[in-house]
Amino acid sequence: MGKAIDVVKSGGKRPTESFDKSKLHASIVAACLSVRSPEGHAHDTAERVCETVIIWCETKPEITSADIRRQASKALETHHPEAAYFYNHHRVIM
Amino acid sequence: MNYLETFAIIALAGMIHASFQLSVSMLTLLSGHAIGSKTSQARLSRLTGGFVAGAMIMTTLIVSFLSYVASVIFGSVVSPLAWAVACGISLGLALGVWIFYYRKERGTALWVPRPMARFLSERTKATKLSAEAFSLGVTSVIAELLFIIAPATIASFALVSLPNDLQLLGIALYVFIASLSLLGVYVMVGSGHKLSRIQRWREDNKRFLQFAAGSALAVLGFYVYVNEVVVAAVAVAGAL
Repeated sequence: MGKAIDVVKSGGKRPTESFDKSKLHASIVAACLSVRSPEGHAHDTAERVCETVIIWCETKPEITSADIRRQASKALETHHPEAAYFYNHHRVIM
Repeated sequence: MNYLETFAIIALAGMIHASFQLSVSMLTLLSGHAIGSKTSQARLSRLTGGFVAGAMIMTTLIVSFLSYVASVIFGSVVSPLAWAVACGISLGLALGVWIFYYRKERGTALWVPRPMARFLSERTKATKLSAEAFSLGVTSVIAELLFIIAPATIASFALVSLPNDLQLLGIALYVFIASLSLLGVYVMVGSGHKLSRIQRWREDNKRFLQFAAGSALAVLGFYVYVNEVVVAAVAVAGAL
């Protein structure tokens, strides 16, 4: 990725931070593993989702963590619908 | 009340308790985080087992405590006034369940205040040991005490009318039935079912579960009111 992208955290109260691909990758892998995907498949899916999100955010100087989540979820939906469901819903389980 | 009626009331109260979803939500989250962080199957079983054990033990303690208090205050015959109060709480909570048990948003977000839900969610995410999972199970029952109190109180009032040995059986029956939903999730997670399927089922059926829990609370409250309060009042009026 060419330049650093600032990520505004949810609620806007915490300080912004640079986009960290590894964090997104880890969260996608966790969502895939949660629905019992094999580990290799989970990493492949996460890699593809990260690429899609990076392409989307490259043109933007500042994005929110909710934006990343939305874009990742959209990309995950095409690669792994079941994991996308869990990724989307894990905050509204309780 | 004969034994059959007493056990039927305890069983229905247990079913109502089982239909409350906070513990199930927390167990689903706990399993999701554990599986997502590549926890071994044995450790996953220990964590979920610890959670279920914690919830079951807390349920046992609550019902035993309420039964003890009821037996100290009333002996083996609970007064119609106490039954009427329990019925009032049950009918009020039935209304509460119908109106606000689930939030009006996607997913299975519950009535729990958001800061508390966030705290429980973070705690669930950070749980790595069986002992932590056990205390999380205990916490889940305490956190839902607002709704659990009605079926637990009615079951406790029913329990004190039984002989001592049958009281233990009654408590075991209540705890077993109240934990059936948790045991179901525990078995499904342990046997390799996908959490997304469990969560999707919960989401698809949440309105039905909400309606069923509220209706069952109303039915229980109404039945007990007629059986314990109206019948007692009619008997007193007849004796005059």
